[in-house]
Amino acid sequence: MVTQAEVRRRDANPLQKFWKEKGSDLVLPLIGVVGFLLIWQFLSSSGITRLPAPSSLFTDKRTRDLLFYPFLDRGGLDKGLFWQTLASLQRVAIGYTAAAIVGIGMGILVGSNRKVNQMLDPIFQFLRMIAPLAWVPITLIALPNVQLAAIFVIFITSIWPILINTTVGVQQIPQDYKNVARVLQISPRKYFFKILIPSALPYIFTGLRIAIGLAWLAIIAAEIVMSGVVGIGFFIWDAYQQNYVSEVILAVFYIGAVGLLLDRLMAFLQRKILPADNR
Amino acid sequence: MSVFVAVEQVGKEFALAKGDRYIALKGIDLEIKKGEFISLIGHSGCGKSTLLNMIAGLDLPTDGIVALEGQRVTKPGPERMVVFQNYSLLPWLTVRENITLAVDEVLSGLPADERRAIVEEHIQMVGLQHAADKPPAQLSGGMKQRVAIARALAIRPKLLLLDEPFGALDALTRGNLQEQLMRICEEHEVTAVMVTHDVDEAVLLSDRIVMLTNGPASKIGGILEVDIPRPRRRLEVVSHPSYYSLRSELIYFLNQQKRIKKLRARKVSAIARHGLEKVNLEIGFVPLTACAPLVVAKEKGFFTKHGLDEVNLVRETSWRGIVDGIAGSHLDAAQMPAGMPVWLSVGGHQDQPLPVVSALTMTRNGNAVTLAKRFYDQGVYSATDFKRMLLESTEGTHTLGIVHPSSMHNLLLRYWLAANGINPDRDVSLKTIPPAQMVADLKAGIIDGYCVGEPWNLRALVENTGFTIATDLEIWQGHPGKVLGVREDWALAYPNTHVALVKALLEACRYCADPDNHEEIRQILAQREYLSTSVDYIHLGDPNAAVCNLDRPVREYAHHLFFGDGVNRPSRTEHLWMMTQMARWGDIPFPRNWLEILERVCRVSVFSTAARELGMLDIKYHRGPIQLFDGVPFDAEDPIAYLNSQSIKLNFSVAEVALKQPQLIAV
Repeated sequence: MVTQAEVRRRDANPLQKFWKEKGSDLVLPLIGVVGFLLIWQFLSSSGITRLPAPSSLFTDKRTRDLLFYPFLDRGGLDKGLFWQTLASLQRVAIGYTAAAIVGIGMGILVGSNRKVNQMLDPIFQFLRMIAPLAWVPITLIALPNVQLAAIFVIFITSIWPILINTTVGVQQIPQDYKNVARVLQISPRKYFFKILIPSALPYIFTGLRIAIGLAWLAIIAAEIVMSGVVGIGFFIWDAYQQNYVSEVILAVFYIGAVGLLLDRLMAFLQRKILPADNR
Repeated sequence: MSVFVAVEQVGKEFALAKGDRYIALKGIDLEIKKGEFISLIGHSGCGKSTLLNMIAGLDLPTDGIVALEGQRVTKPGPERMVVFQNYSLLPWLTVRENITLAVDEVLSGLPADERRAIVEEHIQMVGLQHAADKPPAQLSGGMKQRVAIARALAIRPKLLLLDEPFGALDALTRGNLQEQLMRICEEHEVTAVMVTHDVDEAVLLSDRIVMLTNGPASKIGGILEVDIPRPRRRLEVVSHPSYYSLRSELIYFLNQQKRIKKLRARKVSAIARHGLEKVNLEIGFVPLTACAPLVVAKEKGFFTKHGLDEVNLVRETSWRGIVDGIAGSHLDAAQMPAGMPVWLSVGGHQDQPLPVVSALTMTRNGNAVTLAKRFYDQGVYSATDFKRMLLESTEGTHTLGIVHPSSMHNLLLRYWLAANGINPDRDVSLKTIPPAQMVADLKAGIIDGYCVGEPWNLRALVENTGFTIATDLEIWQGHPGKVLGVREDWALAYPNTHVALVKALLEACRYCADPDNHEEIRQILAQREYLSTSVDYIHLGDPNAAVCNLDRPVREYAHHLFFGDGVNRPSRTEHLWMMTQMARWGDIPFPRNWLEILERVCRVSVFSTAARELGMLDIKYHRGPIQLFDGVPFDAEDPIAYLNSQSIKLNFSVAEVALKQPQLIAV
């Protein structure tokens, strides 16, 4: 009797099998998303809120154009959402890379030298508490143009998690590894590449992953304030000023999606680079 | 061979919070020869790993010097490679890369292909060819440790340091790795120092085992030489005759350390009361019928009567425990074999003269020589028969058990053998065994006989495993058995307590001597906390009335003498005789200043005061000259001539023994 059931299970077609294994992984998130959109739709159409319903992305002509033609470029600030996003991403790329280089470098220095750590730690703790938006006026005053100011805001926002995590990572190198290095009298260069970096790498990656999220948050905030630049942040601000509310909603979807992708990308890199047991 | 690693007077202190300092190690002296394998053993926190780290240079001593081949160790270096307890392999490198990293760095002078060959050779040596390209995470604990050992050996260190290398492994893996390590060390003549807490591992691998005492201020408590020949195999080593004695020596040491820790934790300052300087006494005893006076004084309230109302009797299983307790000041006083006060004072214990005084002889007689039953069946009824049997016997060495070099049993047995023409060091072998273990060892055939106090002779007789071949009557009727011993500095610090103690015990001795009390005392002694044996084996009087199942030879037992004329007063002549005997057998040098030592050991004045205060004025002191069964007179005026006149003896030495001047310890 048992055998019959087993045979049937083995005979089940691949699709059925897939559904059995992964079905709930797909269905449940889908139910969540659809439910969320339905409630939103209901709230908007019943007039409880002035916020346009999600369906307005298709019903509103301007928004529909933006949605279907992201690569449109009419010059000046009037560009498709792809270009807007790309411009923001470029700033993030520059600012974030600078933050990564400086953050990791400083982190290693601070982490491996207790005196430097004691000297700089209060400054770091102080600076990292300053919100990205608070940096905007200072940078606008300090730096010659808006582009540079935006990049600096990203830099200053995303550097702290990288720096602090790297510091901790270097401080947390197990004494065993240090002892091995001391007994073998490993040269500083080799110590750096063979022991310090691999050992601190998981911490560094954690910092990088937190930082990419923060950088993306910061650029939106920065662009909203710094008018007159191409970028998704300014696009939202502009749309709001002109009361194209559904465009705002569309841009928000873009921002969320890009943020999610960036995080996944970092997670992917982390998985690729770190050895299995050391994540 | 010359000294390879020298550890001289090394100490280590750690700074604690609040500005305190913790002394981890103090005064460590150790010399390691080339090619030696040394184990450091001790309880957790005794500083054995710290010592290893200081040899490695990972940690620097706060005192003293560590030197390798005459060069002072100031920092870690590859010539002193460490195998860490948790392997310390780099997880992001494969097995081969881990070893290569070390080899490339340390042997950078060699050409690349030679270095590669070294790496491969060592991977092969530990049998890990199949795993060479795996990261450590994919290896078992045993394999990781093999990689660590291969890495350590690949860089050709002068000294290999192992920090509990097999601690985290299962028993089977550990056994295999131990054998591999031994083989590698023998083949490559590696000098190694290993930290371990595994007694069997230490015995198996080491040439010498360094035992560290418990912290704070740990020091070397003893060094054991392991005389088991190499190459050793795990299964064969256990059947080597030394194996179990080494093992039990180590376990004794570790247990002793644990007990000392407990005693230290309990130790309270002296409580003065009733006009006595100290009423809280820890008194050591060994479970024997002869401990009756101590037990009676405690149970029948003689201690309390004389004001000592917080006496604690500490049961030690062997005389060694007593020696360690007195030497370490954990015991205030102790029941001692008659020769022990002199033995300790002259420096029998670790060559450190420790002045100990005796003011009371608690028992006399009560000893006998027992041989295994099979000799009786072979017709051995006397010492002459025994000698004939030894001459005819084709068996290996016959082993006889004694309880302590300084005990009367040893001295009487040796005297008895020697007087009968048997050289106790050549014709038989004597082995120190705790009294309570004698019967079991006799039954197991580990020893062929023994000389020990009751109840262990009678017990062998009753259990039919042995028979009594000689008793005190045939050797020295009325010889001193057990005495009361205290440190000299203790006696000086607590003079009134000392007198009170002697008074209480003297009264207890009188109680023990009364035949009307014997039944009661036997019952008390049989209890768990004392002898913990059947009451049938305990006899204060003549046991023949109760048990006699051997018709020939009918032995007349010498009763324990607890009290009477000349029984209890310490006798200089007797101590001198024991001094000559211990010198005769090489346990101590004969002190040129023997008169001074007797003066210091033998506290007749304390005894006299006690006896007078008890109103025992009529007690007779004099015992008359010492004469043993062979009739050789003992001239107390010229002990050296007496010694020279003995035909069987070791080459004894005569030396001045410098005793510390008596000093009052701070109370």
